[in-house]
Amino acid sequence: MSWTYNDEVMDRYQNPVKNGRMDNCDIKIDEASTTCGDKVVLYIKTNGNKIEDMRWEGDGCILSVVSTDLFCENSIGKEIRSIKETDDLAFVENFPVKISPGRINCVLLPLRAFRRGAKEK
Amino acid sequence: MISVYGRKEDFPIFSRKINGKNIIYLDSTATTQKPRQVLDAITGYYEGYNANVHRSVYKLADEATEVYEQSRSNVAQFIGAKNNEIIFTRNTTESLNLLSFTIGDSLRRGDRILITSMEHHSNILPWTRLEDRGIIVDYAGFDEEGHLDIGDLESKLKRETKIVSVTHQSNVLGTINPIEEIGKIVKENDSIFIIDAAQSIPHMPFRVRDEYDFVAFSGHKMLGPMGIGVLYGKYELLDKMPPFNRGGEMIKDVDFHSVIFEDPPIKFEAGTPNVEGAVGLSAAIDYLKVIGMEEVRRHEKHLTSITLKGMEDMKNVTYYGPRNVEDRGGVIAFNVKDVTNVRMNLEKNNVKLDHLYHSHDIATFLDERNVYVRSGHHCAEPLMRSLGLSGTARASYYVYNGEDDAEIFIKSLGELDVQR
Repeated sequence: MSWTYNDEVMDRYQNPVKNGRMDNCDIKIDEASTTCGDKVVLYIKTNGNKIEDMRWEGDGCILSVVSTDLFCENSIGKEIRSIKETDDLAFVENFPVKISPGRINCVLLPLRAFRRGAKEK
Repeated sequence: MISVYGRKEDFPIFSRKINGKNIIYLDSTATTQKPRQVLDAITGYYEGYNANVHRSVYKLADEATEVYEQSRSNVAQFIGAKNNEIIFTRNTTESLNLLSFTIGDSLRRGDRILITSMEHHSNILPWTRLEDRGIIVDYAGFDEEGHLDIGDLESKLKRETKIVSVTHQSNVLGTINPIEEIGKIVKENDSIFIIDAAQSIPHMPFRVRDEYDFVAFSGHKMLGPMGIGVLYGKYELLDKMPPFNRGGEMIKDVDFHSVIFEDPPIKFEAGTPNVEGAVGLSAAIDYLKVIGMEEVRRHEKHLTSITLKGMEDMKNVTYYGPRNVEDRGGVIAFNVKDVTNVRMNLEKNNVKLDHLYHSHDIATFLDERNVYVRSGHHCAEPLMRSLGLSGTARASYYVYNGEDDAEIFIKSLGELDVQR
């Protein structure tokens, strides 16, 4: 395909690592982007103030799906507060490919969902 | 005459290269590019005779007023109306809101408004705002190919239906609705008939008819500048309506606690108008008149035919709206099936559904090939829900597009159709 949808992005889109529901989660966050029709549910298992595991279900564009899957994987072992404090720009820059300004919201979907729904105990 | 390559030479923006390549602009349904003639007319206005209109008595002001009124006259002639039936607004949305806040506000509890399920939000939200006051908004549906269901429209046209407001051409399905036929049906019911012509007047010959009470359209979708729109209204109706905005220009006499309003159309043009917009729109109309609207329509049908044929030959591409180009304009909404994704096994009522690429992904994929299409819900969410979709990509054509654009678009889309 092309540079936005490189092999790394497409591989994860087609074979996400953290996709699927989690029955014994501590936090469940429903997020929908009404403008795009994207829907994502984050399932979070916590250990104190840290993330023990995170999975997701839903559907969206390639960029939001890949970003959500990476987010779930990369959040494991991190503190809820530090994830919430992640800077938007830094988060987007960490994404494996460069994103055009019109698509930044797609990448930010999981972070925004987490910030809204993840409360520390 | 439009050459098979379109008329790009008149449009400065097409001399721009992005990533060293030409721009393939396929989003004229959202807004059109502007020819040199329109840009020159706007610059000429500011450099030569800028002054406020309808106020002062010196030479420049006379000239500005004259050119503003000539622009009105040019718009009127273009659609077969009288000068005093043309109101300049900001855009189609404002034209329809003007109607909502005047004739809409005169409706009573239990009165009904009939629109269709293929309307742009700009012909939905001005009417649903009246539901708070007990006014009922009905929707006429459409069939599988996107043709308006006239039987459904007739059955929903009731004694209480005071207003019928219909898009002439859908900005998603491309469907051209039979407004002459609908107009007759509406008039048998003595309802007011409003036409959202934002997507039709720029693309085909259009003459107002006795059945049409109001017609709304935008300048920027027909080669003119942004911020200028038109509302055509029958004079006898405009004369009875209250003003929309109040302030400068729109009065004959103001006292401390009373006012006598100007006659239409000035009654509806409170404050300093968009003179540069009117001048630009008039230049755009001159440009279109030189080509001829029959020719504009013929050219777009041709490009649409090429595109629909190209899409029909693809395995995973679906387009929406009528298959016959006679029934549709040069706007083509489409989706691409994602055959690579085994994860998303979607089922609805035990029927396996295709997984589609998100329309933003299609648009970004094409963007990387300098092909610019729109993606999303196109300000028509109820229509998207009727189709069971969250969005589509959409390509649309205008006078500057040529066969070359259609071919590059189809070739680029083909790369997505077959990948992996």
